[in-house]
Formats: sequence, structure tokens, C-alpha cells
Amino acid sequence: MFFQETTPDTSGYMIAGYAITLLILSIYVASLFIRNRNLRQDMAMLAEMEKPAAAEPKPKKRAGKPVTKKGRKK
Amino acid sequence: MNQKPLALKILDVVSIILLFTAAYLAIFVAPTERVMGDVQRVFYFHVGTAWVALIGFVFTAGLSVVYLVTKDLKWDRIQVAAVEVSVMFFLITIILGSIWARPAWNTWWTWDPRLTTAAITELIYIAYFMLRQGIDDPNRRARFGAVYVLIGGLSAPITFFAIRLFRTIHPVVIAGSNTAAEGNFSMTDDMVRIFLFALFAFTVIFVDLFWNRIRLGEAQEKVEEMKLKAAW
Amino acid sequence: MARRSSQPSAIRRQRTASAQPSGKFLKAIGAILWKDLRAEFRSWELISAMLVFSLLIILIFNFALELDVKTRQSVTAGVLWSTFAFAGTLGLNRSMAIEKDRGCLDGLLLAPVDRSAIYFGKFFSNLAFMLIVEIIVLPVYSLLYNTNLFQPGLMLVILLGSVGYTAVGTLLAAMSVQTRTRDILLPILLFPVAFAVLLAAVKASGGFLDGAEFSEVAFPIDLLITYDVIFIAVSFMVFDNIVEE
Repeated sequence: MFFQETTPDTSGYMIAGYAITLLILSIYVASLFIRNRNLRQDMAMLAEMEKPAAAEPKPKKRAGKPVTKKGRKK
Repeated sequence: MNQKPLALKILDVVSIILLFTAAYLAIFVAPTERVMGDVQRVFYFHVGTAWVALIGFVFTAGLSVVYLVTKDLKWDRIQVAAVEVSVMFFLITIILGSIWARPAWNTWWTWDPRLTTAAITELIYIAYFMLRQGIDDPNRRARFGAVYVLIGGLSAPITFFAIRLFRTIHPVVIAGSNTAAEGNFSMTDDMVRIFLFALFAFTVIFVDLFWNRIRLGEAQEKVEEMKLKAAW
Repeated sequence: MARRSSQPSAIRRQRTASAQPSGKFLKAIGAILWKDLRAEFRSWELISAMLVFSLLIILIFNFALELDVKTRQSVTAGVLWSTFAFAGTLGLNRSMAIEKDRGCLDGLLLAPVDRSAIYFGKFFSNLAFMLIVEIIVLPVYSLLYNTNLFQPGLMLVILLGSVGYTAVGTLLAAMSVQTRTRDILLPILLFPVAFAVLLAAVKASGGFLDGAEFSEVAFPIDLLITYDVIFIAVSFMVFDNIVEE
């Protein structure tokens, strides 16, 4: 009867495997996080841009009125 | 944009816990396999990610049909999310397969049916993203993407059968204790239990990442809308 | 005064009814095929490019693979199909690009005909070009390498393989020509999907060249036929979605 071969030590490969799995998952989660953060920043910036655009027309109208009144008088 | 729903926050935490539990069980609790040693432990994650990715790919093919019938862009967003997450998991599958192959068959890569089909399938879905990148109109992008996923998804199983024209050296684990092909092993009961747990864990993790990715897509769409409004 | 037709009205109605849809469909396919063939036989643009490209590829393989007589036997099938695949991509790209650049595609879309007729028309013309190139490459390869490639089994495989390749290729080329990246994108889209065809074709070709029994080659040939049927069906069903505006 033959002696049983000893189990080879392949733990290095195992560690590599789990490490890479964790790495890829982490990179993916990080990419989700970063992309999300960039989008939120874009959204905030675009929201800011919308506000002054809504506020602009009012002062122009007030400035316009006295001019037409003068013109009419003449 | 909306706050993250509580359910999703909980799912995030649960996913992380499940991931580390599965890893712990696989590394410290599962019995050591006699012939290969510790490297066999990557098998739990290798099959777990493969299973989840392949179901993901089949799911994307279904989404194609739904989109093409309804033409609702919501399904396109869901499809992108499903493809992206599946591609990521399948990448892990392929790399773990390679790591297992090295000590088991003394080679980093073999051109056997499953590995080759895996590589080609992965390339199909990567090509999906390249296709989408070249199209600006969202409706056309969605249509072309859906059609390509359908065609690609149909071709993958056929490719698998085609490659079986060559002999395989990929282990067939479920077929009892047939150790004719190298690298085979039969599973003890604890192994089966840990294996099933890993499958469950990856399913949950997939759903979690998938949901997060869908929300990202919704945020992207919101930003596009706002940009269009600002351009006016 | 108009004379009434001597035929009973029921028969007249039946004739016009059945002549309309399928007749128009086939006519449209024929028209597209005829247009492409005529244009090509005037300019020889596509076939000449595909031919020269094929010959260059065979030359490159000659240097790349160090083909001694023994090795040649085993790699002939692979070299042939690699050549056909690359030349085929060239043809598919150009064929669709011509359509788009000259505005023919838009014209075809305006015509009151089923979109899938466009698919079949292009499919047949692309197939014709690919087969013409293959018919020319075979004797050239035979001469250069002193092997007889004119076997009926091989012809069958070349036909089946080309049909499958062109079926998917036409659909994917129609897509890629409408993107920004155009020509570069087609091989990236096509090769993973057509891998099964190419593999089965190489296996079957190799089998026939080695003089194998038909039973040994049956599996790849079955696979080719299956692939062809599935992908012609799916491609023509989804083609509408590719050319909508």
C-alpha cells in the first residue's frame, strides 16, 4: 500500500484569490461611490445655475418702465 | 435627489456581513481538500460569482425583450446596471478560475470549453459598453444595446456547445466522485452547506450592488435632464 | 366605355390580395440585391478590396506560421477561416457604409416596404460578395500550397459558415455604421458572437480536409445549420429596431 501524498501547500494561491476578489469588489463599490458623488456635485451646481436664471428678468422690467413713460409723454 | 432608502442601507450592511461570513467559513471552517490543498477554497467564491453572473446575463436578455416591447427607457437603465454588475462578478469568476487552474493543472489558462466560453461571453458584454459609448441619442443607444445583448446572449450557449467539440479538462464537481479528469473532487456535507451559503451570500450582494447601480443610473438621467434645461 | 373583365370578381380579388404582401417583399429584396450587385460589378470596389486583403492575410500567415507540409495540413482550415472572417468584416463594413454615405439607407427606409426586406436584401448581397471572394481564394490557396481544396464537403461548410457569419454580420454592421466609432466597432461586436460559427466551420473544414467520415463531421455541421437558422430568424425579427429613426 502506498503512502498517501502529503497535501500540497497552496495557501498562497488561496490568499491571492480572496485578495483579488476583495480588491475587485472594493474597486467597484468605490467607483459607484465616486460616480455618485460626482453626479451629486453636478446636480448641486446645476441647481445653483437655475436659481439666478430665474431671478434675472425682474430687475430688467423695472428699469424698462420709466423709459417708456418718458417716451409716451413726448 | 432622494436619500438612500433605509432598506438599501440595511441591505448594504447585510451584504458586507454576508461576504465576510462566507469568506470566513470558506477559509477557516471548511475542511481542507486532500489533493489540491487550500487553493480549492476559492471554489466557493468561484462558483458563487459564476452562478450569480450567469443568471444576471440571462436576466439582461429578458430585459432586452421587455425594453424592445415597451420602449420605456427605465428598462434600459436597469439593463445597464445588470450588465455592469454581472460583468464585474464574471471577471472575478474568470480570475479565480485561473488562480485555481495554476496549481491544479499547472497552467494559468487552458483553452477548454468553459473557460474559453467565459472569456468570449465577458468580451460580448464589454463590447456592449463600447457600443453604447459610440451613440449619443438615448433612445437609439437603448435600442442598439438591447438588440446586442439579445444577439450576444443567444450566441453564448451556442458557443459553449461549439467549443465542446474539443475535450474538456474543466472539473465536473456535481457528477459524484468521478475523479477521471484532474482537479475533480467530491464534496462532503459541510462543503455543500458552505457552498450553498456562499451562493446565497452572492445573490444578496448582487441584488445590493444592482440596486445601487440602478439608483446611479437614475441620478445620471436626472443630471442629463437638468443639463438640457440649463442649455435652454 | 370600359369593358367588364370576363373573370369572376372573386378570383380577381383573390389574385390581387395574394400578389400584394409577399410579392412586394420578394421584389424589394431582389431590388436591393440587384442594386448592390450592379453597383459592385461596375466599380469592383468591395470585391477587389476583400480579395487583396485575403491574399495579404494568407501571405502573412505564411510567414507567421512557418508552414511546412505537415503543419500546413493541420492549420489550413484555421488559416482559411481567419482570412474569410477578416475579409468578411471588411466587406460588411464597406457595404453598410456605402449605404449610409450615399443616403441609400434613408431612401430605402422611405420606401413602403417591410424593414426586414432591407435586411434580407443586404444579407444576400453581403453573402454574394463573401462567396465570390471565397471562390477565388480557394484555388489561389490550393495553388500556393499544393493542396486540393475543391471538395464538396468543404464547399458545404464554406456556404453554411458564410451564411451564419453574414446573417449576424449584416445586423451588427447596420448598427455599427450608425455609431461614432463605425468601422472599428464591427469586429468588436461581431467576433465574439460569430465565434461559434467560425469554430464549427474550422472543425468541419478540418474534418473534410483530413478525409474524415461524415459521422465525425456531423456535429459541427449540425451546429452550423442550427446557428444559421436561429440567427437569420432573430436578426430579421429585430432589424426593425435598428433602422428606425
